[in-house]
Amino acid sequence: MREHFQGRMLRIHFTEDDKWHGEPLYKAIIAKCMELGLRGATVFRGVEGFGASARIYHARSLSISKNAPVMVTVIDTEEQIQKLIPHLDQMIEGGLIASSGVEAIRYTRSG
Amino acid sequence: MIAALHVVLSLTSVEREMSEIMLSPGKAVKVSIYLSEGSTHHGVSTYSSILDFLFFRGVSGATVLKGVAGFGADHRMHSANFVEISDHLPVKIEFIETREKVDELLGKLEEMAGSGMIEVQETTIAKPARVSKPRKAPVPEHVRIEGKAKLMRIYIGESDRWHDQPLFEALLRAMRANDLAGATVYRGILGYGAHRRVHKEKPLHLSHDCSIMLSVIDTEEKLQAFLPLVDQMVQEGLVVLSSVDIIKYSHRATETSENKE
Repeated sequence: MREHFQGRMLRIHFTEDDKWHGEPLYKAIIAKCMELGLRGATVFRGVEGFGASARIYHARSLSISKNAPVMVTVIDTEEQIQKLIPHLDQMIEGGLIASSGVEAIRYTRSG
Repeated sequence: MIAALHVVLSLTSVEREMSEIMLSPGKAVKVSIYLSEGSTHHGVSTYSSILDFLFFRGVSGATVLKGVAGFGADHRMHSANFVEISDHLPVKIEFIETREKVDELLGKLEEMAGSGMIEVQETTIAKPARVSKPRKAPVPEHVRIEGKAKLMRIYIGESDRWHDQPLFEALLRAMRANDLAGATVYRGILGYGAHRRVHKEKPLHLSHDCSIMLSVIDTEEKLQAFLPLVDQMVQEGLVVLSSVDIIKYSHRATETSENKE
């Protein structure tokens, strides 16, 4: 099934060691998205980066660093995204949310 | 807002100028600069500083020769020793140019050479070197993207397949075959999609069930023309289009930036 819609995309940037109630923040955000019934979300880990604190984060393959930059992407309809934002405001202490309007096509296997 | 830049050159102006430099047969001047290998100019080895200087000032060619032994003004013998690796070995830089060009460069060269010696010699060019590299192939159509463009992101699963090959690879090939400007595949570490099944990266064994995102930037027309193929190939997933400004797109240092809204 092909579904064409105007939506909104959030990209939420923070680091892998950020926590929310003891669990990694990115897992908490994914869980929140599922709980709110958003249609999908994906977490990406960056290789290197820096943020507001101007600290450089590395994902070193051998030393087990949890300091890598992480980005969560969520794409849904405007209303669904608006439901998520107040929760993000609470959960994110240091980070960045970029929002953009997008044209989206969703493919779903029937059945 | 960032103004759109016109980046349509495949060669920078410096390189373009370089590729057209050729000496003509007849009188010319040969310059030899004698240095010690270990000498430095502003922290960089002198011979490479001089070579850079000659290159970017449009000299038609230069060679650095490494000596195996020698002595200079200080009358100490410098040689390559098996035991200690000497950094005082002699180095000679040679180039041949027109008298005017040499006169223009000599002042700076004298400063750069420091304690080294510079020799200038009249010479005759019997046959100038020809640029041996074939001319660059004409720049493909897709290189000329500038200003407003579209960014397409395709979200699929890593295990999705298309005709016996991974879907993301098939999409990437299809994009290449359609002359799209460039595409990158990203693997997510955690995610879920339409069926609410969580795709997760597993630390110790290689998981093949991560979320995959392909990101491709090109003109609206190119991407719209590619969409029917996406319709055919992607059975389950999400395709997102957004507007971006191309800040820079070139052959050599491919770097596209996106203007976040």
